[in-house]
Amino acid sequence: MNFKPTIFTFFALLLATGWAAAQNDDFRKNPPKAGPAPRIQMGEYEQFSLDNGLQVIVVENHKLPKVTFQLLVDVPPATYGEKAGVPDLAGDLLSRGTASRSKAEIDQAVDFIGASLYSTSTGVYASSLSKHKATLLELMADVALNPAFPEEEFEKVLQQQISGLQYQASDPATISSNVSQVLRNGSAHPYGELTTEETLGNIKLADCKAYYEANFKPNISYLAFIGDITAEEARELAEQYFGKWEKGAIAKKFFPRPDMPEEAQVAFVNKDGATQSVLNITYPVNLKPGAQDAIVANVLNTLLGGGVLSSRLNQNIREDKGYSYGVRSTLSYDKLIGYFAAGGNVRNEVTDSAVVEMLKEMELLRNELVTEKELQGVKNFIFGSFARSTERPETAARFALNTARYKLPKDYYATYLEKVAAVTREDLREAARKFLRPDQAYIVVVGNMDETAEALQRVAPVVFYDKEGQEKKAAQAAIPEGLTGMDVINSYLEALGGKDALAKVEDVTISMSATVQGMQLSIETKQAASGKMAMAVKMNGNVMNETRFDGEKGMVSAMGQKQILEGEEAEAMKARASIFPELNYSAKDHKIDLTGVEEINGEQAYKLQITLPSGDVVTEYYAVASGLKLRQVTKQEGPTGEISVTNEFADYQAVDGVMFPFENKSEGMAPFPITMKVESVAVNSGLSDDTFKVEE
Amino acid sequence: MTLARKIALLLAFAVGVPSLFAQERGIEFETMKLDNGLEVILHQDKSTPIVALAVMYHVGSKNENPDRTGFAHFFEHLLFEGSENIERGQFDKYIQNAGGTLNAYTSSDVTCYFEILPSNQLELGLWLESERMLHAKVDQKGVETQREVVKEEMRQRYDNQPYGTFLLEVLDRAYTKHPYQWPTIGSMDHLNAATEADYINFYKDFYVPNNAVLVIAGDIEPKQAKAWVEQYFSSIPAKQGKIYRPEVEEPAMKKEVRDTIFDQVQLPAVFHAYRIPSVQDKDIYAIKMLNKLLSEGESSRMRKALVDEQQKALTVFNYAMEMEDPGLAITFAITSAGVDAKDLEEAMDAEVERVRDELISEAEYSKLLNQVESDFFTDNATMFGIANNLATYHTLQGDANLINTELEKYQAVTREDIKRVANKYFQPSNRVALYYLPEPAKP
Repeated sequence: MNFKPTIFTFFALLLATGWAAAQNDDFRKNPPKAGPAPRIQMGEYEQFSLDNGLQVIVVENHKLPKVTFQLLVDVPPATYGEKAGVPDLAGDLLSRGTASRSKAEIDQAVDFIGASLYSTSTGVYASSLSKHKATLLELMADVALNPAFPEEEFEKVLQQQISGLQYQASDPATISSNVSQVLRNGSAHPYGELTTEETLGNIKLADCKAYYEANFKPNISYLAFIGDITAEEARELAEQYFGKWEKGAIAKKFFPRPDMPEEAQVAFVNKDGATQSVLNITYPVNLKPGAQDAIVANVLNTLLGGGVLSSRLNQNIREDKGYSYGVRSTLSYDKLIGYFAAGGNVRNEVTDSAVVEMLKEMELLRNELVTEKELQGVKNFIFGSFARSTERPETAARFALNTARYKLPKDYYATYLEKVAAVTREDLREAARKFLRPDQAYIVVVGNMDETAEALQRVAPVVFYDKEGQEKKAAQAAIPEGLTGMDVINSYLEALGGKDALAKVEDVTISMSATVQGMQLSIETKQAASGKMAMAVKMNGNVMNETRFDGEKGMVSAMGQKQILEGEEAEAMKARASIFPELNYSAKDHKIDLTGVEEINGEQAYKLQITLPSGDVVTEYYAVASGLKLRQVTKQEGPTGEISVTNEFADYQAVDGVMFPFENKSEGMAPFPITMKVESVAVNSGLSDDTFKVEE
Repeated sequence: MTLARKIALLLAFAVGVPSLFAQERGIEFETMKLDNGLEVILHQDKSTPIVALAVMYHVGSKNENPDRTGFAHFFEHLLFEGSENIERGQFDKYIQNAGGTLNAYTSSDVTCYFEILPSNQLELGLWLESERMLHAKVDQKGVETQREVVKEEMRQRYDNQPYGTFLLEVLDRAYTKHPYQWPTIGSMDHLNAATEADYINFYKDFYVPNNAVLVIAGDIEPKQAKAWVEQYFSSIPAKQGKIYRPEVEEPAMKKEVRDTIFDQVQLPAVFHAYRIPSVQDKDIYAIKMLNKLLSEGESSRMRKALVDEQQKALTVFNYAMEMEDPGLAITFAITSAGVDAKDLEEAMDAEVERVRDELISEAEYSKLLNQVESDFFTDNATMFGIANNLATYHTLQGDANLINTELEKYQAVTREDIKRVANKYFQPSNRVALYYLPEPAKP
């Protein structure tokens, strides 16, 4: 079948807003008038299918001597349960060895012609200069049709995926996206499954092969040739390399459609010490590709927050209030289930206000008609985007692919702009009432719980989730009547051995060890009750950094560089030099707020917010039962601003009548937990002042 | 003034490179210079009814006062606020309502504003850019709001990104005298301290026609385009006197600068920043080919050895920062889970050492040339790409036609040149080496 060129005019709509004509004398006062609307010529394409059902699309464009080949396998959505992650692994493996080529040979062949080629769970993409087109297509077909799934490559890909997960683990945007996916779709839905280190560990090479065998069939696939190639050449190449690909039956599964939540909730994921909150207002929407709705939805979303600076969300949140570097919204269609999402990064203090404003913008579109002028501006932007997109031949191919995949009317894209032009203000409000549901949204916030969660209560009930989108059990016990923060500190001192015993401690030397990244780390700290300290960190036996504080001046040396700390920086060290700083806590100099009871590693603990005389705030957790300190979160100055450090204490043991934690788990600013084990504690060994001497 | 039309018209003929342009004749353009010093470059391509405009000012963070770092970038934000004839907040609306898109960027050397519009809206784009150059206007509300926006940008791009601070840390150690030592985002304290006089002076010093180039690429009628350029830009006064350019010569590095950064990251990473010459130096081509040799494509030496064979790196990149004054070539590798940074660094060094000691093979050399050729078409596949490249070549190297002739310069690089630049620049004594490690407990 041949689908012939579609040419249509770029509507005169761009002239709509009656701009004054330029005058010679004050031509600067008003914007110049637009010239006559240009015609947009969409790239033509040809489409045919091979006997095995493979659908081939050809977009000829000889402007540049380049070709792009794209094989898309329309794999039906499926779940993989405890083996989530199979498709990505299998897709990666395709280009890592074929029946006749090793990975190194494939890479060498691709790079030698200056090409690029990569494989995914749904096909293969390749591009190069057109003079190499035959070589490239042969390679692409080899990868797609003859993958060998070598065992050693499987091990490598698995390791890389694990590293990749670790790389992303502390990234708040990834956490937000994962939690949003799970909440919207449920974890038993293909779009709600998360790949974790655990699920990767369950995957075997055979699972990857099985995925390939079951899904890579020509009868659900599309092969697009784009660029400097003729339809004739494409037909020959397609026959030659993909003609013998055998078709097969494909199993499709049914999945119930996810629903919006009954009512709005703030889904909060805590990230201690974060300075910005990542916001995402999201819920599933039933929006199918090709529906008339989909076009109105696009107009609506562009106006609300579709990535342009002049969108309502950006005008309000960024340009008017300066809350964010930028916010945007998405209203996406999908055969199974689409979704709405709106969000961005905002600073802690304005997190609740930003959410309120964003919900308000959604509500406003449900209630009030937009002006003709605003609607026209948005339509113009869509026309322009459409025109700009035709600069790349890939656009014509994408239109052709969508038309085939989603069984759209043949003139769907040819008449797209006409349909956009026909959208009325009333259509837009109707679509807003259907698709913008501020009352039934998950308001996903990844951020600093202590600084933002309480204020969010005014928006909607706050529910806490972990990074995998699983609800955290609310184990909030009540604070006993009359108990104060100072009481908690006093019972801690009692639990350590009592104030008298602690006062007798003149100095302490603690040796700890840890294994980090395969390296042996040892840390020795020495502290004197007179407020001095020295610490040395060794890695594999070499001193990595050394810190000293003599009571007035401090010194930090690392990797051969030494820095003397005085004034404000020395003050900060002073606060940390004390052996039992809690001994000196007083109601006068310290503000100690008992803010709640939380569960720390299965143990009930009082949570204290302590404001030190310096103004710094420390969050500490003390076990309800034993009185001992379980966790401490401090904020420290990092290279570019505040970061937070979490220390967890366990395995308390008595040394000379005083309890010391023999295990200290530290999550720097990142959750790469380092567990330090105490090897020895020496009390009152008579440390001399030389130990703490600061040498300039 | 409107009649003063002494326009120097220079027609630049594209130089043909037969092997490359078998299918087209290169990127043709013409240039003109207005009396006030504004350089104009026009490229006609009627294949899509769109036009890209770029106005590149020859000012970046290196022109900043050391106690006003971040000013150039902040100023870029402010110049979207409006002008004598454009109300606050309307600048982007004009473009978007006309079906266009716009943005800007600031580097150490330049600030570039651009629009991509349907071709019937070229005049609108010229009007807006001429307003920006002639009499931009910023009120207090604009300053306050954009200051908050820039702070959020800083948090989002640098603080809250794994390894997001690396460039700040590298520059700080790689330069001691030259203004490249501070990043374009600059210091918030400096921006807080800025006064009205700072804004006015910066605008008068740098946002002048004789410090800018205007490039128009796309579906245009050159005669009409030139008439509009003249109408909107010729009355903008030139700056009299010299435009400030820092004349600081950064002393050569004598020995390696090595440090460790503890950051909010999960996997350790290694950064090597080698000092390299200015983008105007012909060695830059050999250096860029060396970068490709090391990490472009899966078969490149570092990707193959470190990522695939030894599995010490999750990923590795090499790139040269092409700067007007001597810049840096940066290698960046993230460890695989469980691998020690030092282990990875040794493997990286082994690859660089091999280039210093042995000539690359003929096959590798051919591969590099093929990659360079392919890049040319990727870089110039869109009207915006062409406009931006023409503006950059013109501003940093004084020769827009490099867009056509650069390939010859790559072809002139020999295998021996690659070995030579490896020995000359890629030495431990000529670099900053940084480890990024997950933060263990600090004292």
